[in-house]
Amino acid sequence: MKKCGQCNSTEIEVDSARGDEVCTNCGAVLADNIIVAEVQFEENAHGTSAAVGQFVSADSKGGATGYGKFHVGTSTESREVTLRKAKIGISHLCNMLALNNHCIETAHNFFKMALSRNLTRGRKNSHIYAACVYITCRTEGTSHLLIDISDALQICCYELGRTYLKLSQALCINVPSIDPCIYIMRFANRLEFADKTHEVSMTAQRLVQRMKKDSLHSGRRPSGLCGAALLLAARMHDFNRKPNDIVRVVKIHESTLRKRLLEFGETPSSALTIDEFMTIDLEAEADPPAFKAARKKDKERLQKLPDESEFTSLQIEIDAAIERDLKKNRKRKLNVAGTSMVIDEYDETTETDKFIGESTIDVINECLQADPDDFVAGDINNKVNVDVVVPKKEEKKVVKIEKEVLPKFGGLKPDLLALCTVSEKEQFLLSSSNKKSTEPVNDLDLEGLDDNEINGYILSESEAVLKDRLWNKMNAEYLKAAKEREEKAAKEREEGKPEKKKRRAKKKAIGPSSSAGEAIEKMLQEKKISSKINYDILKSLTATQDDKVPEETDKVPGPETPIEEEEKTETEEVLQQQPNPQRIEPSSTSPRKSYINLSNNRRSKAQMGLPVVMHTETAEEEKPAEPAQAVEHADDFDEDEVEEHPEPQNDDDRLGNILNMGDEDNEDAYLHSEDYY
Amino acid sequence: MDIDSPLKQILGSPLKIPQQNPAVLHPLHHQLAPSGPQEAINTIKIQNCVASVALGCELNLQMINYRTRNSEYNPQRFHGVVMRIREPRCTALIFRSGKLVCTGARNEHDAHLAARKFARIIQKLGHEVKFIDFKVQNLVATVDLRFPIRLENLNQMHGQFSSYEPELFPGLIYRMVRPRVVLLIFVNGKIVFTGAKSNQQIAESLENIYPILQSFRKN
Repeated sequence: MKKCGQCNSTEIEVDSARGDEVCTNCGAVLADNIIVAEVQFEENAHGTSAAVGQFVSADSKGGATGYGKFHVGTSTESREVTLRKAKIGISHLCNMLALNNHCIETAHNFFKMALSRNLTRGRKNSHIYAACVYITCRTEGTSHLLIDISDALQICCYELGRTYLKLSQALCINVPSIDPCIYIMRFANRLEFADKTHEVSMTAQRLVQRMKKDSLHSGRRPSGLCGAALLLAARMHDFNRKPNDIVRVVKIHESTLRKRLLEFGETPSSALTIDEFMTIDLEAEADPPAFKAARKKDKERLQKLPDESEFTSLQIEIDAAIERDLKKNRKRKLNVAGTSMVIDEYDETTETDKFIGESTIDVINECLQADPDDFVAGDINNKVNVDVVVPKKEEKKVVKIEKEVLPKFGGLKPDLLALCTVSEKEQFLLSSSNKKSTEPVNDLDLEGLDDNEINGYILSESEAVLKDRLWNKMNAEYLKAAKEREEKAAKEREEGKPEKKKRRAKKKAIGPSSSAGEAIEKMLQEKKISSKINYDILKSLTATQDDKVPEETDKVPGPETPIEEEEKTETEEVLQQQPNPQRIEPSSTSPRKSYINLSNNRRSKAQMGLPVVMHTETAEEEKPAEPAQAVEHADDFDEDEVEEHPEPQNDDDRLGNILNMGDEDNEDAYLHSEDYY
Repeated sequence: MDIDSPLKQILGSPLKIPQQNPAVLHPLHHQLAPSGPQEAINTIKIQNCVASVALGCELNLQMINYRTRNSEYNPQRFHGVVMRIREPRCTALIFRSGKLVCTGARNEHDAHLAARKFARIIQKLGHEVKFIDFKVQNLVATVDLRFPIRLENLNQMHGQFSSYEPELFPGLIYRMVRPRVVLLIFVNGKIVFTGAKSNQQIAESLENIYPILQSFRKN
């Protein structure tokens, strides 16, 4: 029941003719111009009744569509037009491929998803339609190949494939892998086996299953496999089908077909008789042919290598030499006086050996010094992180799920946690690369460059003249065109024609964020909602949400503690709005941080009433002031605690960035506002 | 029916097959298979290294073209000079803005040397050349794990990162997020890495993918 806003009385009179709403108790007019929100029916000439008005579909963005009763004068939205066109295009394609209505709907929905994510931009409509239809085919498991669709639309198969991959990736559609078996029926029907079609296709099915077991199918087009299986099956059932017949139906080259057959010939199953094949399932699975070929190549390469005996003898020799060398070294250290004697004994080979050994050891030492610390530490830390983050219950669940899924596919699942956490190694690398970039060496280092060699690449004067002449002759046309273009541009510039507008750059996609705050931050960076908003205040608000405990505001000692009562309560109010900030991030409740945020808050209150122009100044003031305060207060606390939470420094950085951004914003806003008013 | 066919023999004693087969069919595969990720990492071979550097001055491409031996300049087709050197065997694309892209080197060091050589050549032609921001843009590397991999199952489990469409390409394309490297994984256990900026990234990505691939190993 509706209540009067003035006196809380429920006696409200609604007059639908005048379209107003009056409280009979106090006389307040609660609403005028009410729009009727009820269904009415009217009777037409034939005596039947129909609802007044027209249906508005859920997709339309409001307003009348088409030729309804109210011609409000609004044209249909462009997106609706696009969708309608897509529907037509998709159903046309589906009809060509003999797909049912359900598939059309699904494909259309895929198109809507693609459209809403702007994936259609920069791609041909026909490709998008085709990709949507193909995704549908794959998810529904119909027997359509990519090439069928590209055939129907006369577009490049690979181009279509690229669009399809992009779409399925961007829309996160996990398309199941192709099973070659589903195409057999289709091809068999076109090979004119008459009433034996079913038998032949069953045999072919069995062949394909066997081929799959022997991994003939991985990395190969399903059509080739089907072709080979069908050829074999046809022959097994006494049909005289030539490879050419098969080639025409399955659309592969004859050599591909032959290759598949040969590969099948190399598997143990091929040695079975027909009867045996139909009844016996061999346990063993052959390796994929590509793997066998690679091993064969390896074997050949090994045989080509010089005899192993020669190798080992050489190795023994080298080992002996090193051994001797080491002994001598030791000797040398023991009696320094005898060094000259020993050195005399050196021959050339041992000396080089020694040099090589020493230099490699140096390099290894260098590597050891540089690498292992961060390498090992980083790894361990990474693991520790993961262990800490994953609560035990979840771990069990994950294990369970894996157990459920594993028997089906086998194998490890991707480790999302490891992907999401930044390892310390990476952080170190990032910071080190930053350091490097601060002191670049910009001059060309000539070390190790042979001037003779380089001079060899440079032509003598006479040669250069010849090459120039030849080049000018060959590119005369281009030079002429370029000159004309330049003249035209110069002329236009003189006439004061504005330069051609460059296309607006595509919006950058915003990646997934870890928290709501981060997402908002990113969104704000991306587009400024309004020039009237002071973004640094927004920022400070979210910062308080992240890490603050109300009690701590009172504990903070220092010169600036006497905070006016009003403001304190207000900050506390803000804090109370979000439930239990402690639970969100208990580890990061550092007093220092909370103080910074508090100061922000205070300022924000002061600024609320100020006009936009002032913000640039205050924002600039704020930046240098903050770190100083922070340092002051840090001194009052355990150093340990401060060191445990190095983030505030980061926070400042980020804050600084945002502040700078805010400056730009406001400048922009200022400029714009001049335009507007 | 021939009773003596080898298949018959195998059929007669089906239990022997799994024991016999691996040893008979691929003796190499057991001797040589890298036994762990570390060994696999040691067999990584870098095939190509693309690096870019800014020379910090505007270049007269026409002059560079006609005064050097191993260069091509066809502005109708491509807006840069293509220059080649023999040692290390590298190709550079040189642009008017002073950007130089060096491709074809076998490793980072070669790429750096080659880029300096190109810069030196241009310097000798009278440009005031600097050598700013040398950066490896892309590394391509290969490795052979020497065990077959079940690509379908891998694709099924790692659908977010992988795409495997035998109709389009025989390998499985795995886009690793961290490190940001793209791997082409083939059924015969060979892998191509691309998109990496450093050797370390490649090693890291192999370290990540190795246990996964091992769990999808066939046989």
